Amino acid sequence: MSSTVSRSRVTTGPDALLSPELLARLERLELVSRKVFRGRMKGERRSRRKGQSVEFADFRNYVAGDDLRLIDWNLYARLDQLFLKLYQEEEDLHLFTLVDASESMNFGTPTKLHVAKQLAAALGYVGLCRADRVCVSALGPPGRHAPVLRSRSNLWKMLDYLDSVESGHNVSLHDGVKDFSIRNSGTGICVLISDLMDKAGYESALRMLIGRRMDVFLMHVLSPEEIDPPLRGDRRLIDIEDNDQTEITINQYVLRRYHETVKSFVADIKTFCSRRGIVYIPVSTETPVDVVVTKYLRERGVVR
Amino acid sequence: MWGLLAAVPVGIVLLYFLKLRREPVEVPSTYLWMRTIEDLHVNSLLQRLRRSLLLLLQLLVVGLAALALFRPGLRGETSGQGRVVFLLDTSASMNATDGDDDQSRLETAKERIGQRIEAMTDEDTAMLITFSDRAEVLQSFTSDRGRLRTALDRVRATNRPTDVQGALRAADGLANPRRSSELGDVNDVQVADAMPATLMLYSDGGFDAVTEFDLGNLMPEYQAIGSAEVTNLAVVAFSAQRNIEDPTQIQAFATIANAGTTPAKSSVSLSIAGELVDAEAVDLEPGEQSGLSFAFSEDEAITIKLVIDEDDNLAIDNIAYAGLTPIKTVSVLVVTPGNRPLELGLSTPKASKICLTKIVSPDFLDTDDYANRMLAGVDDLVIFDRCAPETMPPTNTFFIGRLPPLGWSWDGEAAPVVLVDVDRAHPLLRYVDLFSLLIFEGRSVDGPAGTAALVEGDRGTVLAISARDGYQDLVLGFEVVSTGEDGGMQANTNWYAERSWPVFVLNVLRFLAGAAEATGAPSYRPGETVRLRLENATDEVTVQTENGRTDTMKPSRSGIIEVVDTEEPSNYTIAEKDRVLDLFAVNLFDRRESEIATTPEVELGYETVQGVTGGVEKRREYWRWLLIGMLGLLAVEWWYYGKRIA
Repeated sequence: MSSTVSRSRVTTGPDALLSPELLARLERLELVSRKVFRGRMKGERRSRRKGQSVEFADFRNYVAGDDLRLIDWNLYARLDQLFLKLYQEEEDLHLFTLVDASESMNFGTPTKLHVAKQLAAALGYVGLCRADRVCVSALGPPGRHAPVLRSRSNLWKMLDYLDSVESGHNVSLHDGVKDFSIRNSGTGICVLISDLMDKAGYESALRMLIGRRMDVFLMHVLSPEEIDPPLRGDRRLIDIEDNDQTEITINQYVLRRYHETVKSFVADIKTFCSRRGIVYIPVSTETPVDVVVTKYLRERGVVR
Repeated sequence: MWGLLAAVPVGIVLLYFLKLRREPVEVPSTYLWMRTIEDLHVNSLLQRLRRSLLLLLQLLVVGLAALALFRPGLRGETSGQGRVVFLLDTSASMNATDGDDDQSRLETAKERIGQRIEAMTDEDTAMLITFSDRAEVLQSFTSDRGRLRTALDRVRATNRPTDVQGALRAADGLANPRRSSELGDVNDVQVADAMPATLMLYSDGGFDAVTEFDLGNLMPEYQAIGSAEVTNLAVVAFSAQRNIEDPTQIQAFATIANAGTTPAKSSVSLSIAGELVDAEAVDLEPGEQSGLSFAFSEDEAITIKLVIDEDDNLAIDNIAYAGLTPIKTVSVLVVTPGNRPLELGLSTPKASKICLTKIVSPDFLDTDDYANRMLAGVDDLVIFDRCAPETMPPTNTFFIGRLPPLGWSWDGEAAPVVLVDVDRAHPLLRYVDLFSLLIFEGRSVDGPAGTAALVEGDRGTVLAISARDGYQDLVLGFEVVSTGEDGGMQANTNWYAERSWPVFVLNVLRFLAGAAEATGAPSYRPGETVRLRLENATDEVTVQTENGRTDTMKPSRSGIIEVVDTEEPSNYTIAEKDRVLDLFAVNLFDRRESEIATTPEVELGYETVQGVTGGVEKRREYWRWLLIGMLGLLAVEWWYYGKRIA
């Protein structure tokens, strides 16, 4: 445990979350939403809504009650018919990044939580750079005071918040997401970063996000120790989250079964996600964050 | 032991299940592990044991240890025992208990032979012969140890004297085959090859030197059983007799010898029918003997037992038995027109002691007195001289010169008779010499079925005896004295002038009338076949010993029984229902058997064989300790492993 503590101390430095090189590369990226969402403020992205902007979108017939200012008088002169000139509305995007801060995330080298924080910071920075509305939040109690940020200058606020998030908030995914949903109305992109090791199941949490008409991205963080455990012999496994103990004799046969279980677990999540239009991104803590963000996320179409 | 051994692998497997020291390890979540082992719970026992190298090794070790217990190996070049003849002495002296823990010599010898048998290799063959006064081949040559063991188990101790000759001959027959025909015949070959064999004699040497025997190919080895220092007081002779002058007075004589090697003293007690009557003390140096006499009065049939009270190494010669048939005066009715020789014969001093004679004339047969007398059953014998009753009286009869009214007939005409054959074995004709007899006129008689001819003449049977409803009828085919034509008495034979006449009359009184003999019942050696002739024709008799063993026997038609089972020293009472018919005793009475000190050497053939007292090297088994050590090692290894992994 002491080694874990010292490791977490090392990673608490603000610059440890995002390196300057990564920041530079992140600046060139942009979050992609497959759905266009209504923002609260004018932003930098075009909205499906027609409205006030300089970019022409379409014409439509005048109906009584329309704003006379939008009538295209030139067309009226030419065709003697009233048409309204519609403009593309430009608006901002809501980005919610949910980080699972349960004790199970505090495992591995680097810890899954650290990787999750890095991912959250990277995505948040991308959003901040594009003037999107960014809310990076941990699940559970710390999510209550998660700042809602806009503009690049708030990067440090975001990083400060992330640094303050410690592991040990053992709320179930369902409760955490429910808590988040109650506090944050509105749609947007929701990135859930978790290891999904919830004995109550992850399905209800994801369904809840879908139900909020969120564009959901699921980043599944797993450490290599979980994918291929280096355990052999007679062991008493202690769950660090709930101290649940399981006695097991680990041999080749059991290991093979475990690998099969992991595979089927991941496959189940994939199936669940693809059926509901959730983008599933498996992340191993071995893979550097910049590779994940600049390569995997790009390939998956999360950023461009 | 094997059950315990079988439990060891099971125990090891259980230890694997019960192994509580599991290394605790923290994992982010047991979620996936739970899902992994969820469906393994069904076959969790097997999955736990699957591919556990340590378990396999331990089971292998235990398995090899179990295999090692079977003592596997290849038969190498061993010097076997070859052909062995075990001669085991089962005579009375082998019952001596001078071994350890009061073990009898026979048990010791059996143990030693058992060790030999166990040490036999598959190529070795052996045979087992036991001998007492007769030899018995219990198992002929075989290499089957199981059969030898079974044969050895069958060996029982006997109370018989020793005769090693028969056993030697049995062993000799296989080792030294005889030639089938004459020497010098080149075409004749010996039928069997000589088979040299070791002769292992397990005995205490209590037999006489065997001289008329050639060992030939037999290599003798004398395994001396028992010790040379023994205590043994023995009754070597014991008999009882009635006083002729006063038959109720009985005298018993005993000879007590110290057949041991240490001085001994003891009290000797005499009991009659189980009740102590008299006792005397003896104190004897080794080799000494002393005579004891007891006197008491008794007129019944009695069984006498003499016991040396002190325990010594051989128990069987501490008890002696003797029996006396009951003394009884018989009543004889003589119906005769006048027979001087018969009267003289019945009035000899010996005869008059045992009989009361009443002489009547043939007219008496028609009186009521006669009828009443017969009904009362007073007479043990009725002698009809030249007369016959109308019906047979309910008692034994002796007809002289006449035939009984029923079942008998003359065979041929009256003529001078020359005697041809006399059944000397019959008690009626004991000590009777008849061949100088002159008989002027006699006829042969033909009795009913079952008649036994006692004296045969040239024309047929002249003296015959027949059974009738439990009585016996003796018929003499010629008159002793005849009534001459002038009415005077006339001798028909010179028998009355012979010495055999009063003896014959006495025999008639003794055996036909049932008067007892003054001498005691005969004594036999244990194991001897006792042949007895019962005077009373009976269908079934019981033979009872002192300790209550009862056999039922059927006498042959001539009243002979053969008692074969006489192994046990005791008084043997032959009785029909409650009536004692005869008695005999079985006693060891063998000074040679009583001298139980083991001889250091025996003489067989012309060789003197020195005794060997040691047995074969017995295999000492250490595998139990090795096994326990192995299990201990396994436990230590287990403990160390458990400690290291924790």
